[in-house]
Amino acid sequence: MNAVMNVVLFEGLVKLFLVVVVVSTAFILTGKDLLALFRTYALQSVFIAAVAFILFLQERNMILLYTAMLTLVSKGIIIPKLLQKVQKSMNVRRDIEFHYLQPSGSIFLSIILLLVVHLIFLKIMRDVTTSSLFHTGLVVGVSLTFIGMLIIFSRRKIISKIVGYLTMENGAVLFSLFMGELPLLIEVLVLMDLMVLVLVAAMLAFGMDSSIEDFHYKLNPFRRWFKGGKEV
Amino acid sequence: MIENIIIIAVIIAAIALIAVIASRSIRIMNASTIIHSFATMVLAGYALSTVKLPLFFLKNRYFFLDALGIYEIFITGCIFFLAAIYAKGYMHSLIKAGELDPKNAKLFYVVFNLLLLSVVLAFSANNLALLWIFVELTTVLSAILIVVLNAKENITAAIKYVFITSTAMIFSFMGLILLFFSSRQGLEEATLNWDMLLQGAQQLPPQLLLFSFVLIFVGFAAKSGVAPFHTWLPAAYSKAPSDVSVLLSGSVSMIGVYAILRIYSLTAHTVVHPFASKFLLAFGVLSIGIAALSMLVRTNVKKIIAFSSIEHVGIMLLGMGIGNIVWMVYHLLAHALAKALLFFSAGIIHRQYQSNKIEAIYNLFELQPFASWGLIIGSAAVIGMPLLPLFISKFFILADLANVSLLLLLAVLVLLLIASGSFAWFMIQMMQIKENVLPKYRAPASMKMALFILIALLLALGLYVPDKLYAILEKIVVQLGL
Repeated sequence: MNAVMNVVLFEGLVKLFLVVVVVSTAFILTGKDLLALFRTYALQSVFIAAVAFILFLQERNMILLYTAMLTLVSKGIIIPKLLQKVQKSMNVRRDIEFHYLQPSGSIFLSIILLLVVHLIFLKIMRDVTTSSLFHTGLVVGVSLTFIGMLIIFSRRKIISKIVGYLTMENGAVLFSLFMGELPLLIEVLVLMDLMVLVLVAAMLAFGMDSSIEDFHYKLNPFRRWFKGGKEV
Repeated sequence: MIENIIIIAVIIAAIALIAVIASRSIRIMNASTIIHSFATMVLAGYALSTVKLPLFFLKNRYFFLDALGIYEIFITGCIFFLAAIYAKGYMHSLIKAGELDPKNAKLFYVVFNLLLLSVVLAFSANNLALLWIFVELTTVLSAILIVVLNAKENITAAIKYVFITSTAMIFSFMGLILLFFSSRQGLEEATLNWDMLLQGAQQLPPQLLLFSFVLIFVGFAAKSGVAPFHTWLPAAYSKAPSDVSVLLSGSVSMIGVYAILRIYSLTAHTVVHPFASKFLLAFGVLSIGIAALSMLVRTNVKKIIAFSSIEHVGIMLLGMGIGNIVWMVYHLLAHALAKALLFFSAGIIHRQYQSNKIEAIYNLFELQPFASWGLIIGSAAVIGMPLLPLFISKFFILADLANVSLLLLLAVLVLLLIASGSFAWFMIQMMQIKENVLPKYRAPASMKMALFILIALLLALGLYVPDKLYAILEKIVVQLGL
């Protein structure tokens, strides 16, 4: 009886967290304050880490625990801090420019996307036995990816586009949590890859708003050695 | 000893990187890079002709070398080697003209060497997730090479490149997760190791295999510049320094085609195969069509060469779709050489006229005879003139296309005619004669040497396809199970 209750409780919690993830995406889609965007992304990542942790408690698969920890540290703390640092150096606080789609249109399209993905997965997974939680997880994961893409298209500032890309990546992480965790080494390498990509994309975003000299100074670690007169 | 090829390649790269970082002289940085790329080329060439393939590395077999992988590493070694030779004089010219800050030379050579290593590791990855990771890494490294010049437009081009390819690559990642899931359903053990997936491909649930094929295709198609995911390519190729354009067109973007071929081979002998073939044919024709129509209105020499790359990726997809893998893989080599020749020539032209625009270019033969010959032979090669290597591959691919559909062949021929006509007309316009007011730019010997090697290679390969090369191409097809 206790075990059944636990399963019901866990499933309920996962579904609740998935809803929070979807709502946070809506904030990223429409929000104008950059700092709030980064914080919402961090919050979204924390909830994804929480989903991974609950799945670990259910399945006792250590990879899920490591995924939860890695997600929490890298996406909940390091990446938002990095973006905040770049935003400070760019001296831009708000992103009020949208193109192709205004926020209300984006929200409407996102809802349609969620429904379409749900219907497609009903068809694809008809031969595979799945639970309703599994189905919900997949639908939210894939929808998040598409909504992230929508953020990239509808936002003008590069720094907001980066948050869109990160939202897409969070969608892929959710998708993999429910589909089957990749080996730990691969998970770690994917995360390192993401950090490098975000770092370079953030540098490029900085380059768009600064002089080419300042951009090269930030991009080139070897340049600082030159400047200090200590060419190692 | 030689069987530890990947370890040797990593050690050589590490030594080259240490030499570049520790050096104060740009000449030594360049020499280390030349040695690194030459060693990679020789190592791959030696392995291709003597080592029994496939070779697996690590307990989990995450890395391997088969005929296709090592053939691609050989092409990569050649292209990086020639680009490194060319860079010797080219970088000096850029610094002299104030287009490159000498303080950025170290960054350039460090990233150049890292990019070579990443491409080699991508071609050696048996695990498809690892392949994905290295492909992403090549995008980031290539973007840094694009923005090394003192020009703001380059940052825009790099951003476009990073965002379009990385966004599409997320879909590939999801496709890989789906493939991993389907391997758990169909095989004894969940895996993303390509060799194991190939062995058990018939046991994978067809619906999931099909869906993962489509998702994986999206990302790698963007990486290789397949239409409609090609929009980053013309800007990136045209804004990048010419030696970087060569790396992008001949090696880095071709990882996308390579990955598509690997995934496509998984569908062979399954019920998904007919759909996958038609899918590739459709994107092949679309790429050729969009490239051909875009080439009609181009006024920038590097942009027209870039659009020609999209056209050739389309031809490669056609070759894959109709199952003519031998000549499709040969096309990879011939295309890399021809594009290298064109971009190197364009680099000399840019140094001469300080512009890539057609209006600025005149008296080309008088001012730059060597680059003019490079352009003429390169153009003749890419439009598929006889006695040049792309003619052979184009001919056999189109001949096989006739067996699929005569109407489709006709449509493709018309599109190729438009592309070739636009290309030829563009080159003729560049040869216009006006009263000369420009001083002659003296291209350094290293830049001319790279052009000379390429012209010799193209002419030789056009006249004769060595038996050994043909045997390798056949071995690739057998190992892919196609």
